[in-house]
Amino acid sequence: MEQTKANTKTTRDASAEGFEPRIVAFVCNWCTYAGADLAGTSRMQYAPNVRIIKLPCTGRIDPMFILKAFEGGADAVLVSGCHPGDCHYTSGNYHARRRWAVFHKLLDFTGIDPGRLHFSWVSAAEGRKFADLINDVTEAVRGLGPFASDNPARRQA
Amino acid sequence: MNVTEAIRADAARLLTEGRARMVIGYRLHHGRGVPVFLTAPERVDSLYYGPQCTLNLAAYLSRPEVRRSAPVAIVAAPAALRSLVVLAAESQVPEGSVLALAVGPDEYHGVVDAAAAAELLRTRYACLEADPDLSARAAELAAMSPRERSAFWQEQFARCTRCYACRAACPGCYCQRCVVEKNMPQWVSTAARGHGNYAWHILRAFHQAGRCVLCGACESACPQGIELMLLNISIAQNVQEQFGATPGLDPEAKPVMGTFRPDDKDEFIR
Repeated sequence: MEQTKANTKTTRDASAEGFEPRIVAFVCNWCTYAGADLAGTSRMQYAPNVRIIKLPCTGRIDPMFILKAFEGGADAVLVSGCHPGDCHYTSGNYHARRRWAVFHKLLDFTGIDPGRLHFSWVSAAEGRKFADLINDVTEAVRGLGPFASDNPARRQA
Repeated sequence: MNVTEAIRADAARLLTEGRARMVIGYRLHHGRGVPVFLTAPERVDSLYYGPQCTLNLAAYLSRPEVRRSAPVAIVAAPAALRSLVVLAAESQVPEGSVLALAVGPDEYHGVVDAAAAAELLRTRYACLEADPDLSARAAELAAMSPRERSAFWQEQFARCTRCYACRAACPGCYCQRCVVEKNMPQWVSTAARGHGNYAWHILRAFHQAGRCVLCGACESACPQGIELMLLNISIAQNVQEQFGATPGLDPEAKPVMGTFRPDDKDEFIR
């Protein structure tokens, strides 16, 4: 049993070959989700590694969501919403931006590589930007490799 | 007259004159400064003040039992005075319900109300440097690789028994119901291990962003010696750099995380 466990750990940690990043994207309903929709309806190809979670506004994205995603095994987290000034609820993204400014540095300070947490503004018209963003983030995380299974933020088996 | 005697005299006067119905101070108990809650002037002889008194007594101001005893006076070092300003700005202490027996590092400033406390902080303690050892240690940690940092914090957090003494000692942690106690859905695992400990410490520190006055009460209350102040100072430095805010100095300042500026920096956002 111990041996199997050790084996699994090695495979997941050392499998830079054939490693497919799991990326969780928290996006707002009004801009980025619509941007992702546009990328889809325009038949743009982008990496299938992203799992999109739609929320009403970036202001609704509690830092706990990000912790939960890392805890559950995400290799990276992407947070995206309306450009400053474009929030459907006037100021949700401004509040969110303050929160992230502190939170992403805190995660960095506690040992989560900053390359595993990405932030972006993508409007409903920016299908291209969304597709490029997903491709870039996926490539960057592929370079970083799997999120270490012994990181304190990860749920331990 | 030394500080302890001066505090006793002022406490007795406040209680006798009815300007305070309760005085919260310290007494010496097995070499530690523990809190004491006085309602009778004849009991003031138990009061003590010295370097052992590390608790931030402003933490008691939001307790219902203490609120019912308003007006209250607390013995407060500069950090606790800053807590008082934060609590007043966040409407957690009714106006005029709290007095402070203000003590500095080497002198006693007498009885001050909220406005006088803010004035005292502005004139005398506006640029209290954070502990240089602590800043140096935080810088040392920040210079490590993410991998080394995660190993450091893993070792730190692994010691946590989730007693929540850090929360109880903190004047900023005044929520009636803490998020770790919510279980539908359960956001933070309550088992004292691994990811639950990580999530708890991140959230505790993050919820104090823009409100922490670096009094050190959480760390000194921690029975496991977890270096919580490293998290706090890292956040405080960020808040200072990015939003130019030093919590607890300006009674008119809006809560840092409850407000925004359209031109907040966002170079980290693509």
